[in-house]
Amino acid sequence: MYIKTVRIFFSKSGRAIYISHLDLMRAMTRAFSRSGLPVWYTQGFHPHLYITFALPLSLGTTGLCESMDVRLLEEVSDEEIISRLNAALPEGVQAVSAGEPVMAPKEIMWADYHVHLRCVVSEGRQALERFVALEEIPTQKRSKKGMKTVDIKPMLKILSVEEQSDGLMLKLRCRAGVEINLNPTLALDALTEITGFKSDWTTIERFAILNEALENFK
Amino acid sequence: MTLDQLDLLLSQVQKPARYTAGEMGAVVKTLTPGMLRYAFCFPDLYEVGMSHLGMKILYGHANRRDDVWCERVFSPDADMQTAMEEMGVPLFALESLDPVKDFDLIGFTLQYEMCYTEVLNLLNLAGLAIRAKDRTDPFPLVVVGGPCASNPEPLADFIDLVSLGEGEEVSDELFDLCIQAKKEGWDKPEVLRRAAQIPGIYVPSLYDVTYNEDGTICTITPREGAPAVVSKRVITDLDSVYYPENFIVPFLDIVHDRAVVELFRGCNRGCRFCQAGFLYRPIREKSFETVAKDAKNLIESTGYDEIGLSSLSTSDYCGLEPLLDSLLDWTEEKHVNLSLPSLRIDNFSESLMEKVTRVRKSGLTFAPEAGTQRLRDVINKNITEQNVTDTCRTAFLGGYTAVKLYFMMGLPTETLDDIKGIADLAQKVVDLYYSMPERPKGKSVSVNISVACFVPKPYTPFEFEPQDSMEALREKQKYLLSCVRSRKISVSYHDSATSVAEAALARGDRRLCQVVEGAFLRGSRLDGWDDHFKPLAWQEAFEEAGLDPDFYARRRRSYDEVFPWDHLDYGVTKAFFIREHQKAMQAATTPSCFAGCNGCGAQRLTGGVCKCI
Repeated sequence: MYIKTVRIFFSKSGRAIYISHLDLMRAMTRAFSRSGLPVWYTQGFHPHLYITFALPLSLGTTGLCESMDVRLLEEVSDEEIISRLNAALPEGVQAVSAGEPVMAPKEIMWADYHVHLRCVVSEGRQALERFVALEEIPTQKRSKKGMKTVDIKPMLKILSVEEQSDGLMLKLRCRAGVEINLNPTLALDALTEITGFKSDWTTIERFAILNEALENFK
Repeated sequence: MTLDQLDLLLSQVQKPARYTAGEMGAVVKTLTPGMLRYAFCFPDLYEVGMSHLGMKILYGHANRRDDVWCERVFSPDADMQTAMEEMGVPLFALESLDPVKDFDLIGFTLQYEMCYTEVLNLLNLAGLAIRAKDRTDPFPLVVVGGPCASNPEPLADFIDLVSLGEGEEVSDELFDLCIQAKKEGWDKPEVLRRAAQIPGIYVPSLYDVTYNEDGTICTITPREGAPAVVSKRVITDLDSVYYPENFIVPFLDIVHDRAVVELFRGCNRGCRFCQAGFLYRPIREKSFETVAKDAKNLIESTGYDEIGLSSLSTSDYCGLEPLLDSLLDWTEEKHVNLSLPSLRIDNFSESLMEKVTRVRKSGLTFAPEAGTQRLRDVINKNITEQNVTDTCRTAFLGGYTAVKLYFMMGLPTETLDDIKGIADLAQKVVDLYYSMPERPKGKSVSVNISVACFVPKPYTPFEFEPQDSMEALREKQKYLLSCVRSRKISVSYHDSATSVAEAALARGDRRLCQVVEGAFLRGSRLDGWDDHFKPLAWQEAFEEAGLDPDFYARRRRSYDEVFPWDHLDYGVTKAFFIREHQKAMQAATTPSCFAGCNGCGAQRLTGGVCKCI
């Protein structure tokens, strides 16, 4: 029997950033059903679409390089997968490319984010300078065993800080993956906790997912 | 509102997807001059409103017109309402994010009485005056529909129009009237006067109500050419009426998250407590081909993995088994489940069970409603203890080990013997299980009794009956628990604190407007939710208005009393309800419509006999 795993990259933006991960899985299942693509269902008592997401995206965050794997039962060209899926996807979710998976999701090590802080530029700069100079950034992180304190310093790199008319644009690199994962919101909460600085309004966009060698996840 | 503003709001609330729209199937139009903007409001949370079939039908029905854009509005949850109030954002419609106050028509569907304060809350959040007379511009025009529109009097002061009966039948006429009114610049009195001439549209402000000294209604008099009696609108042919080929598919996990097809409207049974069973008469079926086609369309367009069959009594649908066969042919292959709610005890056959089992093996739920044969005869449930045990035997033979039984408490003529009968019936089901050598091996049985409080409703034979007191109901609950001896039986009941307010509103007159407003001003909203309901607010509102809830809820009404809804005609006649009430008091039953016409009067509205196969 023909079964082939295909990895589909998609973006999630606009109103769609408010679709939670759980809701997105359901929405994708329905989109595949509407698309009529020959996807593989699990064979148990309650068959469901086999679908896995490489790295869940937080609610409220834009994602430009999200990916999911499904299994196809017939040969379908990558272009056709994209066009049929896009016809069935809700506003704000768009399939970008499809192809054979190259890396395993467990190879994911880093994710890069654009963080737009709307604030008074000088206040933001000052706070960030203090933040960067810290040796340790102890932060309350929720784990399966309740809240615990972790040092997020090694999980976080500020790649660049750019001034804009209404605030600052940061490029953040956060540890990502199954084992250790840093949500940029948590880093921003720590920034507020330590320096007292809080932006008026923050938008976050994930624009790259990387392996240890800083190659794009493929 | 801009998307930026929405972002700011949404960053402060739980479940933002309630407020973002953008779902598959949501209708977004480009505004054109003269386009009628219609805000369809469901006065409850997104998850509840989005589960409602009527809204899906009417949304699609309105949007099939190029000159109408119908959008959805749901209640914001407490956190969102606070955020909106703090930011000064008025109530907005989901698709366009435009303020509701800028719309031409605002429609509320009234599915239950406890949504009334929420209607006021939404009007207020929209930035509109809650009293109709204070909204002097003709638009937005506020119209209500749905089952509670059958007695809209407790909302009479707040709303402009009431649509009686089935919306698909009347909507177009109302849209046309609004479009013409806008074009020709009518003032509000003229809009109301003309609207009252549309059959099925009731304009409360065109009726004067006078009262007797004892507080009952003396007269209801129309003014300005409004009809003395307004009759509900009825679709004659369900096979040709509009049905959506597409549903909005929500992202959130809503209450009923599936494609739904309608089997029939109305009910042949005539259970005397059931308002829906009378309101939606006469019974009209969809043909088996139409239902099968609707189901296929919806699954293809939505991608849902479940179809629900909707009606008041699924197993009474004439072509149920062939329909199931034809659906099961393709649903299994497509990984689509079927859900069959509202199965009756007296016609649950072995072959039907096999089909249900092929669909999904969870628990089975049946509704004997009362514990003794005498009381089941009073309420005209028309099932016997034999029916219950036969059905449970069938279910147990089919491998089921869990049965849920629904009952009501506080029914007319009820005694403690009837309460004990509930426990006895459940015990008989348990005993039956253990008496069966063929029962599923090594498994224990579980019988779950669920008990609700009976609330007398208008347009039923029990509209004359007083509601049981809260104290009596609590006593009966305690007594029921003391009667249950087996650990295989579990009892759950809704200690319905809302049921007194619900009973008062259900049969209330327009003096209750002051109470609804008083409760709203004391912070009442979303009263149907236990964590929102404020009993004290209602109590104070009644006191302030100088009205006694017991006058509405707990008074026996005479047959010749003028009821607040007597000028609204839903087909079934008061004479029939009186006849049925008299029979109920003698514990005499009335057979199903399928056994012969009982002369309820509903057929008048379709100009002929009930269309049942």
